[in-house]
Amino acid sequence: MWMVDLLAHLEAYVAVAEEGSFSKAADRLYIAQPVLSRRIKHLEQHLGGELFDRSRRQITSTDLGVLLLPHAKDLLSRVDHLRQVATAALASTAHTVGVPPDSDPASLARVIRAGAQAGVTIGVRELPAEERASGLADGSLAFALLRVPPETAAHHVPLGLASAAPATRASGRRPVHLESLRARRGAGSESSPAILLTAEDEIGFAAERFDRAAARAGLPGGRVRRIASTATALAETLAGDAMLLCAEPFARRHDLAWSPLADPALHRGYELAQATLRVGSLDGSMLAWMEPLLAVAIGAVGGPVEKPTTADQGSSGPDRRSRLAAWG
Amino acid sequence: MRLRHPAFVASSAGLLTVAETIAEQWRRVGATGHLLARNIDTGEELGFDVDAPVPLASVVKAPLALVVLDRIATGALDPAMPVTIEPAAKSIGWTGVAGFRYPVTLAVADLVHQALTVSDNASADALFDLVGVDQVDERLRTWGCTGIRVRHRMHRMYECAAGIAGDDFGLALKLAIRDDAAGQHSIETLDPAYANVGSAAALVGLLQRVWLDQISQPEATAELRRLMALQVFTQRLSSDLRADTLRVSGKTGTFLHLRHEIGLVTADSGDRVAIAALTRSQRPASIAHDIDLAIGAAARSAFESLRR
Repeated sequence: MWMVDLLAHLEAYVAVAEEGSFSKAADRLYIAQPVLSRRIKHLEQHLGGELFDRSRRQITSTDLGVLLLPHAKDLLSRVDHLRQVATAALASTAHTVGVPPDSDPASLARVIRAGAQAGVTIGVRELPAEERASGLADGSLAFALLRVPPETAAHHVPLGLASAAPATRASGRRPVHLESLRARRGAGSESSPAILLTAEDEIGFAAERFDRAAARAGLPGGRVRRIASTATALAETLAGDAMLLCAEPFARRHDLAWSPLADPALHRGYELAQATLRVGSLDGSMLAWMEPLLAVAIGAVGGPVEKPTTADQGSSGPDRRSRLAAWG
Repeated sequence: MRLRHPAFVASSAGLLTVAETIAEQWRRVGATGHLLARNIDTGEELGFDVDAPVPLASVVKAPLALVVLDRIATGALDPAMPVTIEPAAKSIGWTGVAGFRYPVTLAVADLVHQALTVSDNASADALFDLVGVDQVDERLRTWGCTGIRVRHRMHRMYECAAGIAGDDFGLALKLAIRDDAAGQHSIETLDPAYANVGSAAALVGLLQRVWLDQISQPEATAELRRLMALQVFTQRLSSDLRADTLRVSGKTGTFLHLRHEIGLVTADSGDRVAIAALTRSQRPASIAHDIDLAIGAAARSAFESLRR
């Protein structure tokens, strides 16, 4: 006898015992009475004894039937529990959101609570940018915040430089121009602080843009350092030897002074994407309440940036050919 | 950055330390290169990787000028001869006649002036056309300048860069940097086998002979010394050697990722140090102020450690 078969037979047995009638039990289980009768008969053959006394007008349980009933009920309730756990587990993985590693935990908590109010289980996972994209593709994530160029992004997160030292200028929040970070002539031999980039700003186009902007601003390649771990980068910055490229809320959470990068093309851009290849269907309306909360968690300030300025001004104009010639 | 130690040359342990410090400073700003500094009176010197042939860019205008001035000194060429340069046919460049919008007629001697003082590509190529690229190369060989090869006009550098990158400076720069790493050159004028090249040792040797009147004619070397002292560019060798008591007579060279200068530092005290600084970098930038300053810092520490 198959296990699933056994469970169906046990259901029939419990139903007849509780209803005291084959016809009522058949109604309860939505099966025809001959099917029910056959199941009871099979079960009695399997167990080696009769479960019901059919000699009288009213069906009654035999001693064996009375003895086995609590065990049968226990088995069925355990199977039911097993199904519930499976369903719940499926439901919770179905709503995992991939977020950047330096998101604000308190804001992420609001996303989870809002999910509970809406009756869905939300899980948040901090993942590197590439893994957020691949997680969406392989179905391990239901939603993910993806990096896109800031000029086309739904969410613009201003990037700036954070440092342990108090802001050098009284205004504090004046934008930072990369070329102002060049070593100062006549300032002695004191070394210029490194600029630390974490993994979130190390993805293809963003890293390329930053490298190019740094080179054009006259910064040597050694000034920019890649650190995969956000915690390590933060520690070095707090120790006072470096400047960390990060968003303002992150700097504020760690008591770092912060000034935005003047060139918005170097800022972060995000869009909230939903997995398309999913087992089961998801409610698209989740995006509506989730997106504003996630935008707060990553420190977004609005839509796409107005005008990226990383354009190579020197490559246009009448003198552009001269740049390819030898010169003084 | 190639993880390879430079081959140092130094007349003493103290000078070796100076050379090592300079190489480390260059490495820190992202420049690799070749340096030789020599006190032309004592012969003491310091440097590294002095024998490798390096594409010269505009540094080649110095040996070109010497050959032209030699022709003038021997009477083979009239310094007052007028040469007309038409805008449509002239070589590309920013400064001097290369940047002019209308036809201009200059005397041969003044073409030399333009080529050296403001690194004018059009004037330099007019001189190349006058004496011939091959003749310049041959004259240098008869003088025994074996480490210097002259193989093309100035405009050839633009043609090769634009030929592969269109007018996209960023792309040409990217290719130059990539080719350096690969050791295969898609821009012919960056390939030591086809470019105008010189080693730091050969260039310092040339400067030394010019300043000691051991090459060409005294009238020619004197005029070359006079014109090199009039160079307007001060961002490299001179950047930390500017004082009333010091004088830097130099010729810069810049092309894509190459930043060079050769020159002679002379002091009121009589000290004379010849320097060749030839660099390349991996930074995708047209202007690298810190590399220019690192060349200047190298020139200053070399001069101060080599002077008596």
